[in-house]
Amino acid sequence: MTVAAAAAPTGRLALTLAPRGRRTVAVRQFHEGALRVLRPHHLDGSGQPCFVVVNPGGGYLGGDRYELDVVVEAAGTALVTTQSATKVYRTPAAPARQDVRFALGPGAVLEYLPDQLIAYQDADYVQSTTVSMDPSARLVAGEVVTPGWAPDGTVFRYRSVVLRTEVVMDGRTVVLDNLRLRPGEDAVAELGFLEGRTHLGSLLVVDPRVDRALVEQVHELLAAAEQRLPGLRCGVSELPVPGLVVRVLGPGSEELTELLLDVSALLRAQWTGQGRVALRKY
Amino acid sequence: MLAVLQLCDSALPTGAFAHSLGLETYIDDGTVGDEPGFLAWVRHCLHHQVVPAEGWAVRAVATAADDDAVWRADDLLAAQALPVQIRDAASAMGRRMAEIGAENFPSPRLTAYADRLRAGTSRGSPAVAFALVGADLGVAWEHLAGAYLFSTVTSLTQNAVRGIPIGQNAGQRVLRALHDDVARGVGRIGRMADDEFGATSPGLEIAQMRHAWQRARMFMS
Repeated sequence: MTVAAAAAPTGRLALTLAPRGRRTVAVRQFHEGALRVLRPHHLDGSGQPCFVVVNPGGGYLGGDRYELDVVVEAAGTALVTTQSATKVYRTPAAPARQDVRFALGPGAVLEYLPDQLIAYQDADYVQSTTVSMDPSARLVAGEVVTPGWAPDGTVFRYRSVVLRTEVVMDGRTVVLDNLRLRPGEDAVAELGFLEGRTHLGSLLVVDPRVDRALVEQVHELLAAAEQRLPGLRCGVSELPVPGLVVRVLGPGSEELTELLLDVSALLRAQWTGQGRVALRKY
Repeated sequence: MLAVLQLCDSALPTGAFAHSLGLETYIDDGTVGDEPGFLAWVRHCLHHQVVPAEGWAVRAVATAADDDAVWRADDLLAAQALPVQIRDAASAMGRRMAEIGAENFPSPRLTAYADRLRAGTSRGSPAVAFALVGADLGVAWEHLAGAYLFSTVTSLTQNAVRGIPIGQNAGQRVLRALHDDVARGVGRIGRMADDEFGATSPGLEIAQMRHAWQRARMFMS
């Protein structure tokens, strides 16, 4: 797609995770360039490790390409997050790009809850996520997009943010979420886009146990949040395969991050008995 | 030409009159309440949902090298429609369009598509069925895409005339104003990279999701 796509990636991280006894561990791990992972830690007694992805360079520049591969083998479970916000700086020549590939085996669980995305003035960012999963696996993937940052404090000064996520089961595309915010071309703050709000949050959940009753519960949680937080606007829907998607527009990344964690906590309480994700970040 | 006119006629019994594609949410919350408001909304819906999904699919299906490319376009349409009522609308209208097409303009590929819809191996989309008929009759994809886009905004406009309501003459002014938008949409479909497929704006999707919980509904989506 871009000139940079032919060159070696700026940073690459590949993890293969599998259960060993009561815990899931990294059975293969590879990194090169500006992408690393901290030694996994356990947030609870469930055996699920938490992997924190680190970008030692601090931010993405034009032409940068990052690759993240996570394989969770049968019955494995992992939580993957980032150490800090993804910052995309000016990209004068070519977009910064991140290719994320997840592969989930039978009964595998992957919760992917990265920090918010901040695209600076004149930034162009493309994130392409492909998830190949067994129909019995579980994916929970969150995303919060800020209005970016410019020296004069105005919002939506980035050129383009594209977040494309494709879920494939048995070789067939079953979910395709293609989010494109291009302030240069479209009125992204207006009707149909962010509708007067500044931040966007999204949570994609694919799991065979999602049913109508659970979607109703998530709807109630979101409706209660709208009562509590002025300016919040939420939607939830069943997916084409068992699963649900939550979309939220709101005033700030902290509010949206907390809300997505509330939804994830509702799922965890029903499915694993794990508590709300409490990421220790400093 | 007459076949395209027949399938684009708003009297075609596909049930399009029952689907507002999220418009009713905006009417209900007071965001859309008059002719300029509706024109702004329908323009947005055209460029940020119909063109990059069904519009793209009309071209993909009309120019498909083989059957598998058609079934793949149908898969992708179902995969990118995240609000459930939008998927259900496409599925219901797609079945009707495929049945009407198979009865009146039969071709092996269209019959195979109708069979897949009955068997559940494909989900169904009116854009796919329409493009199969048109391509079999030798109509160029550009004409098919233009006709499909215009017929979609025509249904939405008729629903706005009843649902907001706006006057019949206002509806015709909106449709006239959309001619350039449809031409622009067809131009974009011709240039669109595959990774643009299914690009939908979040506010519109949220409105379409919220419709499922709206009280006192006049439309099914």
